[in-house]
Amino acid sequence: MSSIRKISILLIISISLILFFLGSSVYYFLSNYSYADFYKRLEARVSVAEKYHFESNQKDAQVLKNIRDEHLELLSNEREYILYCPNANSMKQLADTNSLPINFLTLVYTQQFANFQKDDIFYHGKKRETSKGFYFVVVSAKNYYNTHHLILLKKVLLAGGFISILIIIYFTYLFSNYFFEPINKIITKVNSISTDNIHLRLDENKKTVEINRLTTTFNNLLNRVEIAIETNKNFISNASHEFGTPLTAIIGEADVALLKDRTSVEYKETLQKILNQSERLNKISQSLLFLAQIGYKENKLNYAILRTDELIMQAYEIMNQLIPKNNIEIDFDLLPENPKKLKIHGNKELLILAITNILTNACKYSSNKQVVVSLASTNNQIVMIFKDQGIGIPESELPFIFDPFYRASNTAAYDGYGIGLPLTQNIIKIHKGELIISSELHKGVKIQVKLPVAEL
Amino acid sequence: MLNTILIPIDFRIESLNTLKYCLEERKQEKSSVILMYSAYSSDSITELLFYNPDKIIEALASSNFNDAIDIIKNKYESSLHSFKIELFHGLNRNAFINFYEAQGIDLVYLPRDYYLKPHKNGFDPIPLIKKSKVQYREVAWTRGHDTIDKDELNQLFK
Repeated sequence: MSSIRKISILLIISISLILFFLGSSVYYFLSNYSYADFYKRLEARVSVAEKYHFESNQKDAQVLKNIRDEHLELLSNEREYILYCPNANSMKQLADTNSLPINFLTLVYTQQFANFQKDDIFYHGKKRETSKGFYFVVVSAKNYYNTHHLILLKKVLLAGGFISILIIIYFTYLFSNYFFEPINKIITKVNSISTDNIHLRLDENKKTVEINRLTTTFNNLLNRVEIAIETNKNFISNASHEFGTPLTAIIGEADVALLKDRTSVEYKETLQKILNQSERLNKISQSLLFLAQIGYKENKLNYAILRTDELIMQAYEIMNQLIPKNNIEIDFDLLPENPKKLKIHGNKELLILAITNILTNACKYSSNKQVVVSLASTNNQIVMIFKDQGIGIPESELPFIFDPFYRASNTAAYDGYGIGLPLTQNIIKIHKGELIISSELHKGVKIQVKLPVAEL
Repeated sequence: MLNTILIPIDFRIESLNTLKYCLEERKQEKSSVILMYSAYSSDSITELLFYNPDKIIEALASSNFNDAIDIIKNKYESSLHSFKIELFHGLNRNAFINFYEAQGIDLVYLPRDYYLKPHKNGFDPIPLIKKSKVQYREVAWTRGHDTIDKDELNQLFK
């Protein structure tokens, strides 16, 4: 069920319930009141009649009659009975002759006075004892108010309630359309956005805060998606470039060699060049495969508790073999006293690979100038800092350096194919760490690697 | 012997080098350290009414700064007896001497080549300290002249 319908049904049901309770309570209390009020009026007439018949002399009787005629309006079908009853046994006969309900007379007889209703006629009676026996003073009348006014009230309440429910239905429909229209607009707009027109954005609706938040959320999502798509496009062009260069070299070499007959030395030379380029191709594809594998092999990695200072020393030894002319300085000045704070939970091979990658880059792009590796630890993070004095990265290119195959514009003179840094970042990421890079062109690069301290 | 040491800071990581070199120098003994940040006190009555030094310190200290402090604390865990950051609102020598005595300070360490660059409402207390005729030592470190590091952890390292 759509939320428009849900909201309208809920609203209509709740408002109808409220209307129903309001109407029925008005009706109930008013009708209760009208009964009580009508009996009071009968009672007043009974007491006037009683006074008139039993307690007054001639003069008072005239006054009472005047009062009754002037002030007590005649009720519809009003009748007054003064009935003499010699004893209780004659009550039945008395009731029959005056067509009064016998139950009523018995009630009056036992309770001294009583109210009674038969059909739409109301009775009030009082027993008056005298020396000769007792009398019943009874006044009966039709409750005109009850029969007419209450029925009218019932009709008004029912009709009013029904009409207001119709109005509510109309308004809920109107309002829900009004409130859901922007959402429908968003849906159509979002549906119209595809990879071809990913630059499109939703119009921000300043009137409603929630809708506005929704559109900004969508727009932010679109921004991220656009960047991801951009990165993907970059990746393809960079990758084809990286694969293309050695292939062009191979094709060129082969072409030139086939132009005419060559000596075996020349063939050997050509084959050697082709082999070199093929090895390069092989290396690229293997490292690409490795990069892709790290992502989905995450669960299968062997994790162990490792000491970061040992990792750095091992990476340093590897560096000494890889680049014997390196100028790496290890700075353990700020090492914490407590060795527990140097321990991390991670995969040894991958972390060493990440550190050697960073160090290789640092040595390569600084032409073996000094590289300082520092290690320290806060209470929950291990901080490794790598500083080099190399060529740096142009600031405008910093956002792209983690894209596979991306190479900064100033690296043409250096060998490489742009896999190392993304690989390193992936490794740090799967260890729940952070890699922060800052750089100034021609002055060097500073890389901060933060890894969470292992909980022992 | 336990000494209480005062070090003025500006809530920038580079100013913590004074702390680092001070603790390096006093590795053999235990010290309590008080870092002091100087700021003019507010003249708004409502701000004074809700004056809370912890809140001010919390607002001034960046997460990198706290990391840097943690790094130093971890490094000198055994020689650092206690550590706290205090605000100093005084403007003259007497106020500083009052603060100095109230905190029971034995020695002040100052940076020699580094000039404190306090944030808004803050001021550099070093001239005041030097004028106050209290015992102080100056430490120096080689400063990186690069402008890359705005306020990064790097500044604590070589």
